[in-house]
Amino acid sequence: MSKVVIAFCLVFLVAGCASTEQQVAGVEERTLFDETQAREQEEFDRAQAEQAEKDAQIRREQDELNRQLEEQRQRELDLIDAEIEVDEPDIRPLTDSSLGDGDGQLQGDPWMQLGEPGSALAQRSIYYDFDRYDIGDEYVPLIEAHADFLLQNPGLKIIVQGNCDDRGSREYNLALGQRRAESVKRAMLLLGVSDDQIESVSFGAEKPVAFGQDEESWAQNRRSDIVYVGEPQ
Amino acid sequence: MITVLTLFGAQPCRAQLTIDVIGGGASQVPITVLPFGGEHRYDQLISQIVSADLRRSGLFRLGSLGRARPFPTQAGEVDFAYWRNEGAQNLVIGKLTDRADGHVDVRFRMFDVGAKSQLVGFSFLVEVAQLRVTAHKVADLIYEKLTGDAGVFSTKISYVVKRGETFELQVADADGFNPQIVHRYKEPIISPQWSPDGQRIAYVSFEQRKAIVYILAVYDGSRKVLASFEGSNSAPAWSPDGKRLAITLTKDGVSQLYLINSDGSGVYRISYSQSIDTEPNFSPDGRHLLFTSDRAGSPQIYRMRVDGSDDPRRMTFEGGYNVTPRYSPDGKSFVFIHRYRGRFNVAVQNISTRQVQLLTSGRLDQSPTFAPNGKMILYASEYKGRGILAAVSSDGRVKQRITAQAGDIREPAWGPLLNNHQKESPK
Repeated sequence: MSKVVIAFCLVFLVAGCASTEQQVAGVEERTLFDETQAREQEEFDRAQAEQAEKDAQIRREQDELNRQLEEQRQRELDLIDAEIEVDEPDIRPLTDSSLGDGDGQLQGDPWMQLGEPGSALAQRSIYYDFDRYDIGDEYVPLIEAHADFLLQNPGLKIIVQGNCDDRGSREYNLALGQRRAESVKRAMLLLGVSDDQIESVSFGAEKPVAFGQDEESWAQNRRSDIVYVGEPQ
Repeated sequence: MITVLTLFGAQPCRAQLTIDVIGGGASQVPITVLPFGGEHRYDQLISQIVSADLRRSGLFRLGSLGRARPFPTQAGEVDFAYWRNEGAQNLVIGKLTDRADGHVDVRFRMFDVGAKSQLVGFSFLVEVAQLRVTAHKVADLIYEKLTGDAGVFSTKISYVVKRGETFELQVADADGFNPQIVHRYKEPIISPQWSPDGQRIAYVSFEQRKAIVYILAVYDGSRKVLASFEGSNSAPAWSPDGKRLAITLTKDGVSQLYLINSDGSGVYRISYSQSIDTEPNFSPDGRHLLFTSDRAGSPQIYRMRVDGSDDPRRMTFEGGYNVTPRYSPDGKSFVFIHRYRGRFNVAVQNISTRQVQLLTSGRLDQSPTFAPNGKMILYASEYKGRGILAAVSSDGRVKQRITAQAGDIREPAWGPLLNNHQKESPK
């Protein structure tokens, strides 16, 4: 059912945005007319590099997760040790602290779920074109995943932080960043998430993550970030 | 007597601003400013401050001091034939006299050398600490007499300095001297705006992890929240009477314009669009607002009546990015930021003829602010990768670059012309 709603949203979002359509057309044209050997090699190399970076990131995240798991295990062992000293029978309900069985129906600590490497929930950023705030098709799975997660965890709250590159007016960028954050919020509201679980704010162009004066840096700064309130870092 | 208000709790900072003048006016007025009698007894050399002010405006050409000594310091001592020979046309002389109570009597006169007549003359009774302010006042009087426009050398400017991860709201004299930190925080500060009485600055701070509008009383350091509604609160603009402000709020969704009393009460919405409406700016008569809106698909400048009695009218049509409108003090034109060939530059548009003139050529110029006499526009720019302030005359001829020793400077706001409550006795 939720898939149907999302499909509807997608149509809505795309229909509201002429430039997205133009862009898609542009990409198709290039594919048809510009398939040179060199480009393919370049694409392949870039994909390889990106994959390597992703793999490295996943490894780092896994290492961190393992470290946290080890810490948790140690804490539990300490707890058991302490209780043994009291010399009382250790009878307590078993909490479900498993990490799931891979079917996507994860239970237990929501923070653990959020941080799971490679999951859609681990992705927190939506990127935009200059002076645009419409959400690209490629980010719909990300928004869907977070919306589902918020529906499953009604006690959790997120702040969507809109950002812009530093070109143009600071105040207009503040408004544009707000609009970017708001568009993420609206998409989630359409998916049934409660209004009081989402706050949208804007940092405008005031908190850049990349400092170059080139398209690569600008593209990284045109961004909405999903931040969970209270999530352990 | 000149009343000098000291900034309470403000910290003086060592980083003085340096102003370089690039280019000059089409025709420069010749002026000769002689050393004032007795001025060497003080750190602040009045005649040099006056000369620097006039030179910096780009509208004056400073004449030679000649070889005759001692310099005349009183009316009867001026040898007009000699100074005419030296090429002087407007000659300024002056004298400082210590009073028994510790005050200093500062007198100056400006003569038309050809006509052998006095153009202007004033005396000031001031404290030693006020000599610099007095020099700016003398420069203002000379400027006004010779150009017909009010001088702005006695005014103040404010701006934001980013130093590492710290943001400082600073206030300085218009010549960059005496910079004081009036607020400092480790989160961004943007959009400072002086109240019309020059006593308060409204600004936007992110210290609560979102944009909130504060009003700072500059001279006692007290501060209060003006607007802290859900979402972003930003773009404060004072009404000419200082009783209320136009601001941008997102509490009802997208950025829209609201009016709010300067004590934070009585907020109500005045723009109703499905688009971004922001950067309001009052016309000098207080009846209209210019603002930025993307209602036509790209950010453009619009004008509306403050009472909302008409539909906003689009003002800019050239280009796909026109933002940050600011009325000129006479209300006949406005400056704004115009994207041109990938650059963001200051432009000025005549309201009745719609004629546009591009004034600057930086990569990323921002936040233009008119001098209160409408003759100069101060704005944020960059130089060698650092944020600087720059100024350009409203005809585009005179350019100044204002740099700090360290840090990025941005978000300038030129303070109002103030009546300094002085007793001036023309001689």
